[in-house]
Amino acid sequence: MSRILPHVWPLVFLIALWWLVVIIFDVPHFILPAPDRVALTLLTSLPLLGGHALTTGLEMICGLMLGSAIGFSVACLIGDSKRLQKLTMPALVISQALPVFAIAPILMLWLGYGFASKLAMTTLIVFFPVTASTLAGFRAFPTSWDTTFQTLRPKASKLFWYVRLPLAIPYAMSGVRVAASVAPIGAVVGEWVGSSSGLGYLMLHANGRGQTDLMFAALLVLCVEALVIWSLVNRLSRQFDQNSPSLS
Amino acid sequence: MLTISNLSLTYPGYPPLATLSLGLKSGEQIALLGRSGTGKSTLLTAIVQGSPDIRLQTTRIAYLSQQPALLPWASVIDNVLLGFTLRGENIAAEDVQRAKQLLKAVDLHMLSERQACQLSGGQQARVALARVLVEDADLVLLDEPFASLDRSTRIQMAQLCQQLLPGKTVILVTHDPRDAHHWLDRAMVLTTTTLKGPFRLSDFESDDLLIQVLEDGQ
Repeated sequence: MSRILPHVWPLVFLIALWWLVVIIFDVPHFILPAPDRVALTLLTSLPLLGGHALTTGLEMICGLMLGSAIGFSVACLIGDSKRLQKLTMPALVISQALPVFAIAPILMLWLGYGFASKLAMTTLIVFFPVTASTLAGFRAFPTSWDTTFQTLRPKASKLFWYVRLPLAIPYAMSGVRVAASVAPIGAVVGEWVGSSSGLGYLMLHANGRGQTDLMFAALLVLCVEALVIWSLVNRLSRQFDQNSPSLS
Repeated sequence: MLTISNLSLTYPGYPPLATLSLGLKSGEQIALLGRSGTGKSTLLTAIVQGSPDIRLQTTRIAYLSQQPALLPWASVIDNVLLGFTLRGENIAAEDVQRAKQLLKAVDLHMLSERQACQLSGGQQARVALARVLVEDADLVLLDEPFASLDRSTRIQMAQLCQQLLPGKTVILVTHDPRDAHHWLDRAMVLTTTTLKGPFRLSDFESDDLLIQVLEDGQ
């Protein structure tokens, strides 16, 4: 309980502030619904929200896994070669510099309005933080270790597999943590541009009908989903903290 | 075993250091003293990396530095046998047996399955020493291996080196001649301009001579 409380207080404060704003300024419910109204909608629309949350959750999780796998693999392929990094880095940076909204219609055109286009959007937004962090991990091989390892006369493949790769994993996991927090952007933007299910779709639909309370309820569910995924990734990444060379 | 002829020590971005010559016979053991920045570690690195001015009669070199360079996630025994793993050699039962014997010699046999990150600094230094020994190298380069350890652990490590490195050609780089007392007899002193010696280590029991030798030529 004492571990949860510090996280709960800011949330309680925010909800109280939200409620106060609604009461003091007498804000109409279609502009900003009060927390109790959102809570009621959340409860009464639970099956509807659950179905759409499942779609968005799958898009986020699959996109996170695929994007992380691609990001990690790309880093492994170019990690040992500065030349390859110089060649590929502009393309990697451009893939992130283009606004995801600009790419979304093209992906819809190519991959359709179903799951594949949302997966592609999420993957695209996820892979770069993982690539960049993993590359930083490959560069983290302590220079003070160079001479020692040289005298062990290692094979390059063994050095990569047994030393450089495990050293890079905590950095890669740090990238996955960042990626987990941006994965909802890819999924929801994809749903906004074109879909028939998902929390992004539901929000757009509710917006058109003036159901602001449903929009807020969908937003809350999305927040909870994002937090759960981030917490799971965070817990997983802690398993690799001991790979830090600073411990030795 | 080792012949260095007119090797110019340089460190990128710094003025050139000493140009030196040095010869070591097989089994010869010396301490290399000198102030910080005179190029002692640079010399050891040059020996490992090779240079036209350095002739070595062996490729089997072991190097132990202040950083034990242990894989924190791997067990103590895996760290000791890391060289075999990285060279892709099959680890035979006798290799494991020898590693265990060496861990017993450095008093860590009870911790052989423990992860390196769970060890104290002194224990990590002893694991690194066991790894140097299991490599059975002909030339052992020790680059201030005791510098970050407390006084009692330094004495313990020096005693272990004395017991476990007989017959090996050894260069011990250190700031403190006491690290080599009762173990090594000879010392060379590296300044920014020249390599001096050999001296008897016992000559440096009084700090006055050491300070004079270290200062001279700078």
